[in-house]
Amino acid sequence: MANTACFIIVGRNDIPIYEAEVGSAAKREDAAQLHQFILHAALDVVQDLAWTTSAMFLKSVDRFNDLVVSVYVTAGHTRLMLLHDSRNEDGIKSFFQEVHELYIKILLNPLYLPGSRIASSHFDTKVRALARKYL
Amino acid sequence: MVEPVNSSLGKMLLEEVSPVVMVLCTPLVEETFLKNGLSFVETLKPFCNFSNIDVPVRTSSDQLYRLKKFTLRLFYASDIRQPNVEVAKQRLEHVITQAGEKDFQNLTSDPPQITDILSNPESEIAPSWFQYYNKELIRTLSFSDHEAFDHPVACLLVVSSKDEEPIKNFIDLFNSNRLPNDGAMDPNILKHYLLVHDNQDATTERTSKVLSEMRSQFGNNECNLLCTNSSKEGNVEHQANPWASFKSSVSADKLGCALTGDDIVEIKDLIQEFASRHIIPYMEQKVRELNQQISATRKGLRNQIKNLWWRKGKDDGPDATKGSISTESQIRILGDYAFMLHDYELALSSYRLISTDYKLDKAWKHYAGVQEMMGLAYFISDQSKKEAEYCMENAFSTYMKLGKSGFQNATRCGLWWAEMLKARKQHKEAASVYFRICGEEPLHAAVMLEHASYCYVLTRPVMLHKYGFHLVLSGDHYKNCDQVNHAIRTYKSAITVYKSTTWSHIKDHVYFHIGQWYAIVGMHDVAVRNMLKVLDCGYQSKATQEIFLRDFFDIVKKTGMKHEVVGLQLPIINMSSLQVIYEDHRTYASQASALVEESIWQSLEDDIIPSLNSGKSNWLELQSKLLPKKYKESNVCVAGESVKVDLEFRNPLLISTSITSVSLICELTANSDDLQLGKLYLLFHVHVIIFYIHQVVYAKLISTFGLCKVDKEPSSSILDPKSSTEHNRVTTSGFSSFALSEVDFTLGGGEKKLVRLTVTPSEEGILKIVGVRWELSGSIVGVHYFQSVPVKAKTAKGRKKNKLTPTDALKFLVIKSLPRLEGSIDHLPGKLYAGDLRYLVLELKNKSESPIKNLKMKISHPRFVSPGNHEEDLTTEFPDCLRKGNEQDIVQRETIRTNSVFAFPKDVSLQGDKSIRWPLWLRAAIPGTISLYFTIYYEMENVSSIMKYRTLRMHYKLQVLPSLETSYEITPSPSRLQEYLVRMDIVNCAKSDCFQIHQLSTVGCRWGISLLQPVDTILPSKTLLAGQTLSCFFIIKDCRKSGTEDYKSMSLPSSQTDVKLFTQDGDEKLFDIVNSPLASFHDSERSCQGPSAQVSPNAVDFILISSLAKSSNSSAVPDVPEILSHHSCHNSIRSSSPLSWSLEGPKTIHHDFSTLCEINLKLIIRNTSEGLSSVIINTIDCLLDTASPTTSSGSQSGWRYVPAVTEEMKLTSDVMGSRLSKPPSSMESSPPFIWSGLSSTKVQIKPLSTTEIPLQISVFSPGIYDLSSYKLDWELSEHVSASSTTSSGTCQGIPYYLTVLQSE
Repeated sequence: MANTACFIIVGRNDIPIYEAEVGSAAKREDAAQLHQFILHAALDVVQDLAWTTSAMFLKSVDRFNDLVVSVYVTAGHTRLMLLHDSRNEDGIKSFFQEVHELYIKILLNPLYLPGSRIASSHFDTKVRALARKYL
Repeated sequence: MVEPVNSSLGKMLLEEVSPVVMVLCTPLVEETFLKNGLSFVETLKPFCNFSNIDVPVRTSSDQLYRLKKFTLRLFYASDIRQPNVEVAKQRLEHVITQAGEKDFQNLTSDPPQITDILSNPESEIAPSWFQYYNKELIRTLSFSDHEAFDHPVACLLVVSSKDEEPIKNFIDLFNSNRLPNDGAMDPNILKHYLLVHDNQDATTERTSKVLSEMRSQFGNNECNLLCTNSSKEGNVEHQANPWASFKSSVSADKLGCALTGDDIVEIKDLIQEFASRHIIPYMEQKVRELNQQISATRKGLRNQIKNLWWRKGKDDGPDATKGSISTESQIRILGDYAFMLHDYELALSSYRLISTDYKLDKAWKHYAGVQEMMGLAYFISDQSKKEAEYCMENAFSTYMKLGKSGFQNATRCGLWWAEMLKARKQHKEAASVYFRICGEEPLHAAVMLEHASYCYVLTRPVMLHKYGFHLVLSGDHYKNCDQVNHAIRTYKSAITVYKSTTWSHIKDHVYFHIGQWYAIVGMHDVAVRNMLKVLDCGYQSKATQEIFLRDFFDIVKKTGMKHEVVGLQLPIINMSSLQVIYEDHRTYASQASALVEESIWQSLEDDIIPSLNSGKSNWLELQSKLLPKKYKESNVCVAGESVKVDLEFRNPLLISTSITSVSLICELTANSDDLQLGKLYLLFHVHVIIFYIHQVVYAKLISTFGLCKVDKEPSSSILDPKSSTEHNRVTTSGFSSFALSEVDFTLGGGEKKLVRLTVTPSEEGILKIVGVRWELSGSIVGVHYFQSVPVKAKTAKGRKKNKLTPTDALKFLVIKSLPRLEGSIDHLPGKLYAGDLRYLVLELKNKSESPIKNLKMKISHPRFVSPGNHEEDLTTEFPDCLRKGNEQDIVQRETIRTNSVFAFPKDVSLQGDKSIRWPLWLRAAIPGTISLYFTIYYEMENVSSIMKYRTLRMHYKLQVLPSLETSYEITPSPSRLQEYLVRMDIVNCAKSDCFQIHQLSTVGCRWGISLLQPVDTILPSKTLLAGQTLSCFFIIKDCRKSGTEDYKSMSLPSSQTDVKLFTQDGDEKLFDIVNSPLASFHDSERSCQGPSAQVSPNAVDFILISSLAKSSNSSAVPDVPEILSHHSCHNSIRSSSPLSWSLEGPKTIHHDFSTLCEINLKLIIRNTSEGLSSVIINTIDCLLDTASPTTSSGSQSGWRYVPAVTEEMKLTSDVMGSRLSKPPSSMESSPPFIWSGLSSTKVQIKPLSTTEIPLQISVFSPGIYDLSSYKLDWELSEHVSASSTTSSGTCQGIPYYLTVLQSE
């Protein structure tokens, strides 16, 4: 499992709809905002890259010092962004694919308004379990 | 795309990679020029850039080309050395600090808009001092030993004509050890001699003499004369001061004050001549020379092989610092000279030549330097982009490999590289280069990151996210080296990007830090403004929230004043909870009554409110006729009466916060008629009542009275923040008699509280509730305006107003003070037992001087509450007043209680703090939770025409617990006519309490009641325990007389209708059920318990009176009831026939049977109905079994449970029917007796009268005979049958046992 890993789902209009610190390292107060900054800044790169490939998994798109941003863009242009310091690309890809499935299930929920914050605790537990499994 | 030469890098290179002229001058020369506030070099500097020098140059090739742009760099000899790193660093810091101070005044301005940033031209995006900083940064690296372009090309020796021995000075200057101690220095450098003549204090004779001496000594061409300071007064003003841009510290207009225009022209000419006549030709020559030399040694196959071989020998000791004589240095000089002369081809070929050498030698610094120059040469000659980039990359990484020593060079290389990329519009790449040259030095990193961020703006498409991020990074670095101004500047730009972001941590970080920094530079108000944005940080950890709040309040404290903040996020106001409660013609006695649905009140008040001429019109439409059209829409309230606003506050944080001085912001303006009066002084006072959501706690109720001045400005101006501050200043400190109440309440983490705020206008006009203000922790004032939010105006709900805008809902037309009735009911219990009878007092009070009249009251549940008849208090104590012997005048109830509206006597009029106490009787009729609504209508005398009447609405809630339940069964007495047996079943339904029963009464005068057996024997304890049941038996007797007598007027002694259940109760008087209130309650019970249409004429109503047993220690009801009455109505007699009859005759007969035994009997039939009845008596000599019991016992006895109290008590009387359908059980032998009289008789019986019919039987043997084998067919006459349930029927005979014995 990676030391640092911050997972964010960004909906349309660049609004984060789900956030989770899934790293094993002890949480630091200022880390949360740094992670957000890095991921937020990577949105620019994603914007460019997303249209150059038909693959959903964009691999690592950006880096800041030793932190790497990997992105997975769904067909609806929801961006699953992972900030990590590990090099396990296959694991990240599997992680993204499974989270994508979970996300689709959330979308299928008629009570979920697309683009709103994902508050499901079930989703949260599942994502964290996936992070433990793959990252 | 810009031509490389004209790009900013091109210009930079033209400036930076240009021939250096070493200046050596005597102190007197300096002195001369310092008169202008400038040193010698500074004086000459503006004239060293030639944009069109137009000199023909021929270097290695035979091709001649013309130089257009050319620059000379002048340096004092003492400056020509590598600058000290520390000094350089300080200088850079100084540059930044200066720039920061310059920026200071802009700090308060609002962050720019994104569109502004994007629309700015490229040059304006980055601050202007960046270029200067870059230049300074590059300068720190000048005169490095591995490069040649900083080495002086020529030497300018300057001596003043005032010097003692000019010629000697010239020689001394060059020979003195002030020369830079550089190995690369060529002693045969080009020298030029300049004699300075100061026109102010030197003589021309001496000058010309010295000049001629010089010329003879150094040669004619190498000597020049410069005459300066021609202006004697020294106050020449220069239109466009050429020095201004170079020296900014001193006021620009003093510079060059002694230099006339002629002087300047002379300087210009001198420099131009120096460049074109001496330097360029010299360099040309040098290039040619070197080229030849190198061609001889290095170029050509032979030399290269030789070199390769020769090099091998000294592989192990690469000598990086080769002297000027070394071939590599020469080549480098050649390259640099060629570069400076803009012969990039030659430069490139020379660089290429040595770059491999250096690489082989592993002289990395030299190698990198050469690569760097190659890249630049590629760029400026607009050759292969790829090559250029490759070279720069190569140079950069090589420098980086050198570690710390190479970092500065790497920085310069990076800067050039980035510039190169920028010139080619590769801003994104440029940004990454800037990011790479950040290094460890925070200040340096900050500037580079800022550079990078601006590159992202210039990228197409724009990368704003990156822009913001790098600005924030840069700001953090600036902060680390105490450049707070710069930090603020970068964050301020970053806010543009993050302003509307939903990335919460980012937003908090940016606003929190910029707030802190503003506080550091002392701009507390701006700091507070920024910090406000992070207050709503419920998602942050508690520690972070604490830090945010602590810092915020620290800063607020430092500002030393109370800030007023519009839209403060702490606490959050739930606008959907906003409720306005006010009273117009509808007034409320309590909070609870105001919250009741308007429709309930309206339906209640339908009868008592005078209807208006326009049919279904309401009160508002009446208003429209009376009021100006303008105010038609607004709500009406009365001066002196408060308008209440309920508002919910929520704390988003985990930390509890204290909130004080919550009050409304209101505006009261005069009516439009009075507007010309100008300013209006008005008095209003503000109550602040806090109450909690679940339990209403009046925390601290302080009403404040204050005088407040409100300008008659339109409300819109109030809404912008600045004027609101003004407004508030007025309210807080405006007038001497104004004081604000301070109510503190603390909101715990995540807590919500509902707050009630009131405003009471005391003058006529238009009252607007503009918003709410509160103080947070005593240091900051939050203001919230109710402008653009939907408001539920509670009382406006029922109206048919379609266009009620939110603002209208908060706008009130204040009318003149009116009397307002206040009402309350004393000691109304909240919880009581069913049947509980209470005496209550309704107190009505009018505080105003003007009287009110015509009071009417309507009660939603007349079954529960019945108003008394007299204003006066009762003479006897309750409940004794209900007992007999305390009779009061029987007032005709019917007149008062029309339509269930109770009208107070006409003479009741209230005014001036007078109050009336009106008795009310309360009886809890049925169990359950009951909402009692009282509405009291009253009219005002001679007050305003707008409002003629008002209503007072009161609402109480009762919880009624089940107590005793009774049911009655009445069966006709078999033995006696007009007598009935009553069986009363009582069950105690209460949970724990015990009851005592006292009295049972029948209602009306028809029925007399008596005990069949004393209750004392079955219930010696006299109390019914919880859940206990009891059955008692009574006899009732129909006392109606036959004939035309009206039973209503017949008065039965009241003692016969009541029976005491316990004889031991001694002397206690019976309760009087004829008088109000019991009688009136019984009336309503009657109407509630059964539909009046189906009342059978024989129904009996009972009232059971009980009380709570005294012994029960803790009652479920807080105040113990004294008397309970249980009403049971319409208990019909268990018989459907209108007849009652009995067979009379002997019970036992002795007969010898010698003769026919004939027995005479008498059938007495009474017509209990009110109609004429015809009865046919048939005797049946059939086979009735004597022994068979004719009654089905199961259905006639036992407890009949009453499931719901409201259920009407109808007895189904199909017992007879079932008996009829029963077939004769035995068919044996002959009948034991025969009816010997007439077998069928028809008689007419008048209503309520009795007939006797003689019957006879013949018996043949002794035995016991059941003489029930007859039947009565009855038929009612027409007019009665319409109202009765059945018009005809058949009755079987009643068992009558006759014993016939054999006589002796």
